[in-house]
Order: sequence, then C-alpha cells, then structure tokens
Amino acid sequence: MEDKNIQVADLGCGDTSLIRLLKVYPCIELLVGVDIDEDKLRWRGDKLSPFMGDFLKPRDLDLTITLYHGSAVERDSRLLGFDLITCIELIEHLDSGDLARFPEVVFGYLSPAMVVISTPNSEFNPLFPIVTLRDSDHKFEWNRMEFQTWSLYVAKCYNYSVEFTGVGEPPAGAESVGFCTQIGIFRKNGGRATESCVSEQHHHHVYKAVFTTSYPSLKQERFLRLVLVNEVSQQVESLRVRYLRRLKEQEDRESGNEPKDTGCSDTHIPCFGPVFTEDEKARIEKSPKPFCVGDKFFVPLQRLLAYPKLNRLCAEEEMMRSVIADSVDLSVDGSAVVVDLHYYSDYVFDF
Amino acid sequence: MSGRARVRARGLARSPRAAEVGRPQASPSPPSVDLSDNEASSSSDFVGTKRTLQKDEDGISSGDVRSNFMERGVKIGRNFMDLGICTREKLAHVKDCKTGSSGIPVKLVTNLFNLDLPQNWQLYQYHVTYSPDLESRRLRTALLYSHSEISNKAKAFDGAILFLSRKLEEKVTELSSETHRGETVKMTLTLTSEVLSSSPVCIQVFNIIFKKILKKLSMYQIGRNYYNPSEPVEIPQHKLSLWPGFAISISQFESRLLFSANVSYKVLRNETVLEFMTDLYHKTGVSCFTETCEKQLMGLIVLTRYNNKTYRIDDIDWSVRPTHTFKKRDGTEITYVDYYEQQYNITLSDLNQPLLVSLLKSKRNDNTEARIAHLIPELCFLTGLTSQATSDFQLMKAVADETRISPLGQQQRLARLADSIQRNKDAHFELENWGLHFGGQMSLTGRVVPSEKIFLQDHVCQPVSAADWSKDIRTCKILSVQPLNKWLVFCSNRTENGTESFVNCLKRVGSSMGFNVSYPKIIKVQENPAAFFRAVQQHVDPDVQLVMCILPSDQNYYNSIKKYLSCDCPVPSQCILARTLNKQGMMMSIATRVAMQMACKLEGELWAVEIPLKSLMVVGIDVCKDAFRKEVVVVGFVASVNPRITRWFSRCIIQKATTDIADCLKVFMTARCSAKTAVQRRMQGSHFLTSPGLGLSSSVTESSSNTSSRLSVIVVRRKCVPRFFTEMSRTMENPPLGTVVDSQATRSEWYDFYLISQAASRGTVNPTYYNVIYDDNGLKPDHMQRLTFKMCHLYYNWMGLISIPAPCLYAHKLTFLVAQSIHKEPSLELANSLFYL
Repeated sequence: MEDKNIQVADLGCGDTSLIRLLKVYPCIELLVGVDIDEDKLRWRGDKLSPFMGDFLKPRDLDLTITLYHGSAVERDSRLLGFDLITCIELIEHLDSGDLARFPEVVFGYLSPAMVVISTPNSEFNPLFPIVTLRDSDHKFEWNRMEFQTWSLYVAKCYNYSVEFTGVGEPPAGAESVGFCTQIGIFRKNGGRATESCVSEQHHHHVYKAVFTTSYPSLKQERFLRLVLVNEVSQQVESLRVRYLRRLKEQEDRESGNEPKDTGCSDTHIPCFGPVFTEDEKARIEKSPKPFCVGDKFFVPLQRLLAYPKLNRLCAEEEMMRSVIADSVDLSVDGSAVVVDLHYYSDYVFDF
Repeated sequence: MSGRARVRARGLARSPRAAEVGRPQASPSPPSVDLSDNEASSSSDFVGTKRTLQKDEDGISSGDVRSNFMERGVKIGRNFMDLGICTREKLAHVKDCKTGSSGIPVKLVTNLFNLDLPQNWQLYQYHVTYSPDLESRRLRTALLYSHSEISNKAKAFDGAILFLSRKLEEKVTELSSETHRGETVKMTLTLTSEVLSSSPVCIQVFNIIFKKILKKLSMYQIGRNYYNPSEPVEIPQHKLSLWPGFAISISQFESRLLFSANVSYKVLRNETVLEFMTDLYHKTGVSCFTETCEKQLMGLIVLTRYNNKTYRIDDIDWSVRPTHTFKKRDGTEITYVDYYEQQYNITLSDLNQPLLVSLLKSKRNDNTEARIAHLIPELCFLTGLTSQATSDFQLMKAVADETRISPLGQQQRLARLADSIQRNKDAHFELENWGLHFGGQMSLTGRVVPSEKIFLQDHVCQPVSAADWSKDIRTCKILSVQPLNKWLVFCSNRTENGTESFVNCLKRVGSSMGFNVSYPKIIKVQENPAAFFRAVQQHVDPDVQLVMCILPSDQNYYNSIKKYLSCDCPVPSQCILARTLNKQGMMMSIATRVAMQMACKLEGELWAVEIPLKSLMVVGIDVCKDAFRKEVVVVGFVASVNPRITRWFSRCIIQKATTDIADCLKVFMTARCSAKTAVQRRMQGSHFLTSPGLGLSSSVTESSSNTSSRLSVIVVRRKCVPRFFTEMSRTMENPPLGTVVDSQATRSEWYDFYLISQAASRGTVNPTYYNVIYDDNGLKPDHMQRLTFKMCHLYYNWMGLISIPAPCLYAHKLTFLVAQSIHKEPSLELANSLFYL
C-alpha cells in the first residue's frame, strides 16, 4: 500500500472490526463498509468517529468512512473504481443465486484493482469438536479445490490474476488440511480502473448511507494552520530556551561559577529532544541562526523550514508566512518570527 | 497586600472552590473552564452528603436501586445524592410558600429548557442475568441487543440493569443467543420495578439519554462535560487549544423536568507529554529535571492519541523504556514499540522516553488490586493546566479572554445547541423513542431587592453602584479604628525609596479615613528570605501593633514570615510585593486598600449596613484541604461579635479529613461564646452560613440547644446549574445586582433561592445558591433573602458587593492562608482581628 489516496470497501463488514483496523493506515482516503444488518451498522457507527486525539494530531490525508446498508450482490456506483474490495467470510453466506451474481457485481461491475476473498476451508473442519458447518447461516463450506476452482474461473472471466493463501495454521500432524481459513487475492490485470469507465455509469445509488464521518487532516486549511502554528511556536520556544540557557552558562563561566548540569551525564535520565540525521543536522546548521535585538528574539523562517518536522508540513517560506501571519508576530520584513526574549514564567527556572 | 492576594488566588486556581472564592473582587470567573478534570475533585464534599443521606431514610423511595447502580460503577453525581433529602417539610413557616414578595419584579431568561413527558410516563427496570455468566460488558450488551424485541425499544443498559420505556409482555422474559464461539447463552430479564419520572434513578437515565444525544451531535465527553473538538479556539503563544462545549444536566426543578446547559471550555495543550518533557528538560537541566517533571505532571489528565480515553498521571516510571516488554492479556510478551506498531500502526520516534503510570479505577467496588497502565509520553496529550501555568498571569488572562462569554454570546450558543438537538435526526429519533420532548427555553420572574445604604462614621452613603463604592466613600471616615503608633516596616535596601514614599502615602490616606498612622520604624534587610526572617524574629516583640514587609518576591518569604507572625509571635502583619509599589499612578489606590486592610488587622470596623435584627450572630464556616498533607483539612469559623455585625471572631482548627467537621463546631461555639461575653450580653438568633456538603445540621442543633438560642443554617454554594439573563433592547445582559430567584429554578423539597450579588463587567454572572436547611428563627423568606444580601456588603477587603456573604469569604480566606502557608492553627490572640486579609 505505498500508494496514496487508497479507497477500500469491505463488503459484509459486520461489526466493522476490519474497518477499525484499516483506518489507522495513513494512505487510505475512503473506507466503505456495506452490510445487510442495518441495526448493527447504526450501533457500531459511533465507534468509527475520529478520536479526540485526531483533532490534536490530524492525519496527513483526508479520510472519510461511510457505512451503507445494502447487499454485496447489488450494484451501487459509489463503490466503482476502488483500489481494494474485501469480502471477509462473506461468500459462504450467499445462496446459489446470489453466489452466481456475486462475481458479476464485484469483479464485473465494481471492478476494483484488487479483491480479497476469504472463506472457511472445510478440510480443516474435522479438527473442530463438532463436525458441521461453522455457522448456522453458512450455505456451504468449500474445500481448497472447490474454492480455487471457483476463484480461477472468476479471475479468468474478468481478467484478474489470483494467488492463494490463508490464516490459521493447522496443528502439528494435520498439516495436510491447510489453513483454517482460505484466502484468495485477486489483482486486476492492467491495474486501476480508468476514469472514463467510472464516469460512464455513475448515479446508480442503491445502498442507503447509514453513517458517515470525515476525519480532520492537514489537507484542510484550518487544521494545517493549527498544526503549523503550534509547531512554529513550539520550535521558537525551544530555541528561545536554549538561547537563554547558553547566555546563562556564559554568564556563569565569566563570573567563575562552574556551570552546573549540562549535557546528559546522569545515565538514569534519558536524553531528550528530537534526534536528527547527519543530513538534517547539516541543513539546520546551514540555515540562518536565531538572533536577538534588544529584548526581542528573532527566529528566521528559513531556520524554521530547516527543521524536518516543520519542513514536512510546509516547504516554502512564502506559504509558511501566509499561514502563520495571523497567529504569530513576524518581523517588519516578514522574514522571522519575533517573541519576547524573557517571559514572565522564566524566573521559575532561574534564568 | 492586594497584589499578593491576587497572585496567590491565581496560584490555586486548580482547586475549583479556591479558584472561585479566591477572587470575588475581580469580575466573576469564566464560565466553568475545566482547568483540571472534575471527576477527581469533589470527594470531600461527597462524604458529608452521603452521611446525611443515610440518616434520612424515609426520604428515598428507591435507595436499593441506587446502591445497585453504584455497585455497577455508574457514577452518581452529588446532585443525585442530594435528591430525596427533603429539608423543607420540617420548616413549618415555608412549607406552603417559600417565595418572597418584596423588590421590583424582573423578567429573566434562563439556561433551562423544558423536557416534556407524557402523563403517567414510566420507566421499566429489569435485572438481566446471564447463564453461563459473562464477564465482558460488551458481550453482554451485544447478545442482549441481538434480540429485536429489545433492540427496537428505547433502552439503557449497563451490563446488568436494563431500562426500557415500554414494558415487555412478561414479568420474566427468557432469551437466548449464540456467541461467536457457538456457545449458547441464556438471558433472564426480570422486571424489578417501575420507576416514576421524578425519581432520582430516572434522572440518571435521562442523563444517559442525553449523553447519547450529544454524541450524535459529534460532541465528545470529557469528565462530565461535552466538547466539540472540530471548532477549537487556539492560543498558540501558550500552546493551548480550547474546545468549546457544554456542561449539561437534567434535573427535577420545582415541578418540572428541566434540561440545563452551561458553556464550558476544555483546555488542551497542543503538545504531547514527550514534547512537554523535552521542553522542560532544556529549561531545568539534568539535576532537577526528574523532580520538576514529576511535580508538574503528576495528577494531570492526559488524552491518548489512539483511543478516546483519558488517564490521570499518577507516576512516572523512569526505569522503563518503550523497548521493554510487557505481558498482554493473552499472556504473550511484547515490547511497547511493537505493540503500538502492530495495534495502531504508530511508530514511536523516541525510544528513550520514560513511561507514564496511571492507576486504573476499578469498575467494580470490590477490593481487587488496582490495575496500572503504562502510557507512552509521545502518544499522550496534556489536558488542563499545570500548576505553573495557572500561576502564569498572562496565560490565565489569555484563557479568560477567550472563555468569558457575554450573556448574549451564552444565549446564542444555547440557542444553537437547542436547535441542533431538535434538528438532528438521530437525536430526534432517540428522544422520540423515549417519549421525551425537548421544549422551549424557560423564562421566569425574579425580584431585585432594594439596595443597601453604607454607614460610615459620620456619613450614610447610597452608592451609585453597589458593585464598587470606593469612589462614593473616598472622603469618608471609617467607623472606628485604634491609632497605629508602634509599627515596623521591613524592606530590602533596594526598595527603600519606594517604601518611604509609600509610607507617607499611607499616612495621608489614613488620616483622611480617620485612621491615625504614625511614622513606622523602617528596617532595611538584605534581599534574601533567611535575612528577612531573621530580622523579623529579631525586631518584632509583642508590643508592636503591626508588622509590614515589603517583599522582593515569591513564596519563600511569605510563608515563613506569616507562619512566625501568626503562630509563634502573634502580631498582625501586612505583606506587600515590592513590585506593587512600582506601579506608577496607582499609589493612592493601593495605599487606600492597604490602609483599610491594616485597619481591619487592628480590629477596626470600616463600614456597616442596617441590621434590623437585634442580637444577631452570623457565622461563616469553610473547609480547605491542606496543601501538603492531604489527609488533613483546615476548618475555619468566623463569627460576628457585635450587633452591628462589624467585628469578627475568627478561629480555625486543623483536623483529619475523615473527622466529622461538625465536631469542632462545639469548640468554636464555646470559644466564641466566651469571647462574646465581654462584648455582647445576649444572643437570640444566629445565622450559620456554610459551604456545601458539610453535613453539620445535627450537631449544630445540638450545640445551639445548649445555649437556648435560635438558629438558621444556610448552605452557600457558588457552583450551581442555572444562569439568568435579562433581555435589554435586543441584547442580553446580566441581571441587576440584588436579583433574587426563588421559584421555578429552585427545588420543591428545599427552602432555597438564588441571589446575584456580584457584578460581572465581562462574562456571565454566576448566581450564588442558598439552601436554608435549618431555620427556627422563622424568618420570612423576604427577610432571609435581604439579610443574606446585606451580608454580601460586609467584606472589608473590597469596597463593594461580593458574590457570597462576607463571613463565608472571611472563613475561606482564613482556611486558605492556613492550608497554604501556615499549616498550623494561628494564635488565638489574633482571633479578634481579620489578620488573614
């Protein structure tokens, strides 16, 4: 999943546990869950809302999560052109009619770049104490041969390639039965759906949206501003404190006092602060230094841009200036952030 | 020591009561800014109320239900504990009518909304048992809700008790479900009771319903309040975010169920604990880093990035690193780094950070060992303010600027909240399902009681504004004070000039107010705490009337000097920060305030109001936790000693937090009575004004019966739910000073009223809530209200009205000084002066 802006749909999402696992991945932009149990979706929906922490440390990319009430064998154009569609323990719940229609909808109509289908491996069943179907709603449970035959046929029909794997290793001595659950990973030959094919058939809405939520992200200007202004303030404060400490040490040395406690001599206490690579260090060293005029402390924007954390948010001076201008004080020419060198609460730390 | 007092009051803003009562002279506190998580705070109050509850058994119809609820770990706030205690029915004179009638009627808008229920509405309470028994509450809920006869209904379920708005067909219902593992679980639902809408249990369920509704409005619960993180107010220069939100509650007022909402802000720091530590590390250097860090962080509430949970920092484990392993629930070992990587796809950047330790509250009230959670600083956001931040004047001002909301702003937000509750589909569905209807905003009529005249030595003044009459009495002489002949001033060499001119200024303002101040002996001292303290020890003898210290800065000076002069060598003392004297153009007003404080410390009387009752004694009682020894509380007692209510007897006792506070009242009363004999001959009526939840009624009655006097006990509460506004030419204003509300927003089972006795130049005024829990003086409600209002005029540290009756604030000041600085009972020789101002 190195790509960005990934769109994933989980058909038969049930209690949405897969969606909850997937939402932590930064590359995913759209997560859709579809299930025929509307109550469950409604009840579970709240759990997918952003955490409070997501507002304090927003994601890089937008993320929208939508839950639809609908069936995997109905066509809905809103699921067209996805990067991945997962059908975890779904097909064994379909009766023969639905199972026949299923490939046509998922592979033929929705035609995502990738499909992951999992289903029980019936060869594993004798290892369970009760030898029947694993769930009363299962219409069938396939052995490996049956699943692979079906998969290869489907793949051939819709121009996908498929590979097989599984989860749940069999216990020692029973290796021959294979995984507890068998998985087919289908990849579309020729990659992602083309735009034209998507746009032709839109506005076919069958599913009912039950729940939808959007996550705060750095793509949204107010959150970018929030994070950038905070990071700038943080960095400026940290530079100011270091500047004052150096002044203090210098004073101490001049007055003949041994500078107390510098560096990290005490092994018990960890060393704090961000760790930079050699390249990053060199970059920071090369950038214009913070300076002091009177009781004002200046940090050039170019300096701030040299810190990786800030550089990641905003790479250009002009952009940084325009985003933070309303929230922090800038020097007359706008090239540096200005703060008071001394602050009311400093005395606590004996500066 | 006005500046001093303010700084100190700010320094303690984290204790909610201290924050509010500590600065009555300033405009009222911002609308309940959550400086710290409320959840942990109000435990001491709880004890008292609980005890009262047990005594008063007949008042509660469903006590067993509640205790059941508590066992399940559902929090019941103080408001619920108070319900069912009916004090009014024992007060014969207000049984039928507790409202007054004097004063000018005023139309008021409230922050209360009607919640309408169909007639005969009931809740059905079922007990649910599982066979085989299941531990997981989530699983219990999932299995129960998988049945449509339950899931279709409006319901609230805590894992054992189920509330439904509609009755199931059978008294006992059997259901069964299958778990994922194929296990069949039988559930038995037994109807245990039918609950009326006015019952406390029902109120609890309503609160649960609104919890769901606010969630639907994309609000997040932190502590007891709900916040909207998507519209934060940013204060980047202090690294703060403020999340706007509401404190809401549903309660039964006079005759109806009302929903109330107050604007509240959650303070969040825009930094992780790791960033905070890094910053601090660079500020302190290695040697005192761990100590400072622990001091600053312990007790703070953090919010974790990967879930919606909040934790209290109880400890920092410096020996554990993210690379260490811990045992998962399934018994396997994993490093913290791997765990967060696998579970949340989070890569930790700093592998040297120590871990935070949080003790998890046990869900059940059994005695199992508390579990602890290790948290990664990098993944924790700080909420609330550190003690250092609360003492930062600029920061607190920035916060106050953003959080102080005008009555109009408050009203607009309320309207928006009400609107979204009514419009949101899911919220509407939920309410309808329960049969609830969210109605309109409630208006009511209050009364503005007549303003008071201020009596001075040879002048009676009717202040232009009761909020501040300093201008009205500028040229007037105070009632009485002895001349100040022998006094000492300690100052550092540097502040000598400033001190001299200040003393001259004091003499001048003193003489104009009738307070003769002779020139003091000025003692110059080296600028360090030890030198100051030694000089005080050396020069002060019992003949000295007053000691003034011009302090260079800081607590180091203040505490030791105050302790010495309050306990070891009891002499009234006045401490002033040197930088206060540097304020240009402020000298006269500072000198005036200091002169008044000095007069009080010399047992002087500044002004009086008309007291129609003869031989009345007013007593204020307050309790404050000791700053260092948590197991100890300071109980303060301040009683008037003359009929004019201008002189006070003040005493405090330090006792174990678990001891009944009422026990020491006898000591106070006895002491006060012996002190009184010299001053006053008889005592007929007395008035107790106390902080909430002290649970003292029984012993007060006992001690008063010995002295054959009549008694009223009033509980004074600064924190209350309702807010009142007046509509003024299309905008909203705070109600006029002296506004009394004694109907509709009060409770039928109590003899209670609200009084607005302080002005808010900015922000929304908090009414003060008075609950008369005992009264055999039989005063008419009108008189009781006016007497209370009069008491708010008598605080000698502020030339104006204050939000609570003066004796309560005196008692607070006294306990605060002892709990913060002295930690010892002050000498009784000072008891007749307001030495703690």
